[in-house]
Amino acid sequence: MPAVCAKSVASALSAGCELLWSLTSRDVRVRYKHSLLGIAWAVLLPFSMMLVFTFVFTRAIDARSILPVDMPYALYAYIGLVPWTFFAAGLSGCVNSLVANRNLVTKVYFPREVFPLSCVAASFLDFCIAMSVLAGLMIYFDRSGAWRAAIHPTLLFVPIIITVQVALTIGLGMLAAMANLFYRDVRQIVTVGIQLWMFVSGVVVPIPGDGSLLARLISLNPMVPIIAAYRDCIVYGRLPEALPFLYATLLSVLILVIGWIWFRRASYRFAECI
Amino acid sequence: MSHPAVEFLQVSKRFRLGENHGSLRDLVVAGARRILGGARRDEEGTFLAVDSVDFRVGSGEAVGIIGPNGAGKSTVLKLLSRILRPDSGAVRVHGRLAGLIEVGAGFHGDLTGRENIFLNGAILGMSRREIRRKFDDIVAFAGLESFLDMPVKRYSSGMYARLGFSVASHVDADVLLVDEVLSVGDAVFRLRCLDRMRRLVRGGTTLIFVTHDLEQMQSICTRTIVLSSGRVAYEGPPGDAVGHYLSAVSRTHCDRTTDLATSGHQVGSAEVFSVRFCDLSGNHLSWIAPRSSVVMDVQLRLSRFIANCILEVNLRSPSGHAVLSLNSGRDGVRFDCDTGVQHLRLRINDLPLSGGQYFWNVRAWDADTGACELDTPFRYPMVINENGRASGMISVEREWSLNSDETVGEAGLGRTLPSQIAVAPTQSDDAACEPCSAEA
Repeated sequence: MPAVCAKSVASALSAGCELLWSLTSRDVRVRYKHSLLGIAWAVLLPFSMMLVFTFVFTRAIDARSILPVDMPYALYAYIGLVPWTFFAAGLSGCVNSLVANRNLVTKVYFPREVFPLSCVAASFLDFCIAMSVLAGLMIYFDRSGAWRAAIHPTLLFVPIIITVQVALTIGLGMLAAMANLFYRDVRQIVTVGIQLWMFVSGVVVPIPGDGSLLARLISLNPMVPIIAAYRDCIVYGRLPEALPFLYATLLSVLILVIGWIWFRRASYRFAECI
Repeated sequence: MSHPAVEFLQVSKRFRLGENHGSLRDLVVAGARRILGGARRDEEGTFLAVDSVDFRVGSGEAVGIIGPNGAGKSTVLKLLSRILRPDSGAVRVHGRLAGLIEVGAGFHGDLTGRENIFLNGAILGMSRREIRRKFDDIVAFAGLESFLDMPVKRYSSGMYARLGFSVASHVDADVLLVDEVLSVGDAVFRLRCLDRMRRLVRGGTTLIFVTHDLEQMQSICTRTIVLSSGRVAYEGPPGDAVGHYLSAVSRTHCDRTTDLATSGHQVGSAEVFSVRFCDLSGNHLSWIAPRSSVVMDVQLRLSRFIANCILEVNLRSPSGHAVLSLNSGRDGVRFDCDTGVQHLRLRINDLPLSGGQYFWNVRAWDADTGACELDTPFRYPMVINENGRASGMISVEREWSLNSDETVGEAGLGRTLPSQIAVAPTQSDDAACEPCSAEA
């Protein structure tokens, strides 16, 4: 049975590769077709959020006691917001992907996985663009003398972090897309959930490190080690903490496998239930 | 038939009538009800869209699927293209399948024609290299060279359909499914599409063609399946299929008007159960050949005895024109009508109507009192099948000739000249296209 499953997944993948490319490029083109700033929004979105949070936590209220001291807060926020935006945009794209492509789902047959996959791929493009701006930001803070930038060999570990994050996004995205097809409430739940999730993932505010129940609950969140790993590898030049990161990896792979198999199993019902 | 390209084996597909759970609240309610009401298979609230349909299509064959609305044609195509999965039975397609279930499904309005060709091509299973190779052909066939960089949302529906058909028909498919897509587009483009499909079939592609256009179907298909209420009503030569199709269409029409009829139109003591047509030896006919003699069999029931009953049947064309009115009183025939079920049999010789659907009604009067005892709406269908050879309202026996002789009349036609061509009454010919057979 697992062999059959793996084979069908592989064949679906190879058959859908061209299609995945086309749908992704459609998503990207359509998103920026009627906008003045176009692809610049990939940078502007996390950048403006960074400005907002920087203003809130360093000007509007004095939160210096919980904020990191070893790097400028703007940098701290940006390096969390970029991967988070990738995750959030991918997931919320996935949720709606089947329903938004209703006319394709009911009129043409091809592996339905391409819908959530193309959403994740489209947000990956934005992620790459936003990440490259990070270099500029680091140089800026280095020049201003507030902080010393350096190129660390641990940068090589970043692709692994991205892979883990993508696995988690796809797994959750498939589950959410499928659930949303049967119950449209899921989309609303995911929208609210992502907002809340951001504040317990160490994106803009550090996770409290004490041994309280809340802290222990938060540490179950796989996005905490993932976001932390980006900062470790890019800014601090150290490998992520082994145990939490391993936990996030295993959990992400598990969710991916469950999500994908479930999605496959249910996909024959999509056309009539949509 | 060579080895089958498509096997559709005893396939059934059931759909729910009600909504699926639209929101989580409904799920909770339905779940609670299921727990309280015990587990129950929800057979009720569903209908069989496709009911043990079984057919095979040979490689390189062109098969038409026709049937009234709701007969299950599109469901069959969706089952073939794996969009839907059958509840029982098996669907096997050998080779690459391309489906034109809807022209331009997957076009995105904001993208240009050029971008949409690549997108739609990929959706239909072509690689980018393949699309690039065929790009010029696709554009030329659609005739949209000057609109390639315009977003398709500004295309007219005809342009949209042309582009959609063009992309889909350039997929190198072994099996091509075409569903009612040529209804858009002008006559010229439709002809080009038919031509294109014919060429694909000649090149070995298997074609399954769903349409309501009987002429198109007959001009392409070599075999036709008539679906009616989810079942195969007929399978065979396209010409005969048309007759079965028309009778299936009029039957659904009849079913739909029944409720309406029984409520308000019960004017007197009589009612009609059925109106059927038989040939002279009593075999039931689902359709009638032009100028043949038929017996109309009206099954009536009277709730009281009528000593002097006049019966009348009237015929209307589908457009509502009165075609024929036959009144037994005018013909000097009155009936002693007993209570209970009676059969009124009316023989009509050489019915001279041309092909199409017609509708009868039945009336009855008590000649003594003048009271109307029965007046049904026009809901009893009769199908004349002429294989599309004549139009107009009547069908006549005919002979054609062309020569230099100035004599007109029996003498001129009577001589059997070499150029004379006679048309036999169209009973059951197999060649459906040409309206003439040469006579030496």
